[in-house]
Amino acid sequence: MEDSIGGSSSNDNNIIKEQDRLLPIANVGRLMKQILPQNAKISKEAKETMQECVSEFISFVTSEASEKCRKERRKTVNGDDICWALATLGFDDYAEPMRRKSRTKIQEASTNQNDLC
Amino acid sequence: MADGPASPGGGSHESGDHSPRSNVREQDRYLPIANISRIMKKALPANGKIAKDAKETVQECVSEFISFITSEASDKCQREKRKTINGDDLLWAMATLGFEDYMDPLKIYLTRYREMEGDTKGSAKGGDSSAKRDVQPSPNAQLAHQGSFSQNVTYPNSQGQHMMVPMQGPE
Repeated sequence: MEDSIGGSSSNDNNIIKEQDRLLPIANVGRLMKQILPQNAKISKEAKETMQECVSEFISFVTSEASEKCRKERRKTVNGDDICWALATLGFDDYAEPMRRKSRTKIQEASTNQNDLC
Repeated sequence: MADGPASPGGGSHESGDHSPRSNVREQDRYLPIANISRIMKKALPANGKIAKDAKETVQECVSEFISFITSEASDKCQREKRKTINGDDLLWAMATLGFEDYMDPLKIYLTRYREMEGDTKGSAKGGDSSAKRDVQPSPNAQLAHQGSFSQNVTYPNSQGQHMMVPMQGPE
């Protein structure tokens, strides 16, 4: 992953890179808050730690899926590649529900197409 | 994702004490797909493309990932009668849920973070400091902060670029 620091003297450039590298902290915080009891709080460092972890999680899974596509001489990473990567990397319990969901979406889409015809 | 356990740890993060997810707006349940797409793109070669269903799949996984870890950290705080979740609670949750390989880089990241913040905010105050006893900061904390906390750390089985490695199955 790219460094968000260095390579540019402009502070604005660093900020832009940081925004590209991490997901918005407000959204991450909001997601975390939904899981907590009403009176619980989340420290800023916890949100920022989660922000970093999520970026790594995305990059890690995408890299694995991308590697599969490269070996198979395909340019487009699809949902099945992501599910395969999740399973390969040990996230088996993520992969199966995602596959089921993906199949359901495809079925719904084809049903809608048939309805239109 | 609600139809199966989210990780080797099993179980669900939607326990009784926690806020219900069913009536939550779509944009509150998921992180922005444009940002997710941007991060995914960085992991691809220049000519690589990402299908919409791939973005949506990652989007759902990320929400589960956050919920799962936060839930475990929250349970710990409740048991210890603390109201504020801090970075150490997340570290503990990750270790508990099979993400042991996150620990070292995260300890380094947290230590650097606290040095930069001057340790003046959040978990350094009052009762929340109890969690710090669970996870000791890494001695490698003097490494210069370089944007991604996975740098300067080597991980087995990864492609050298990211910090995560396959999770262990349930013991």
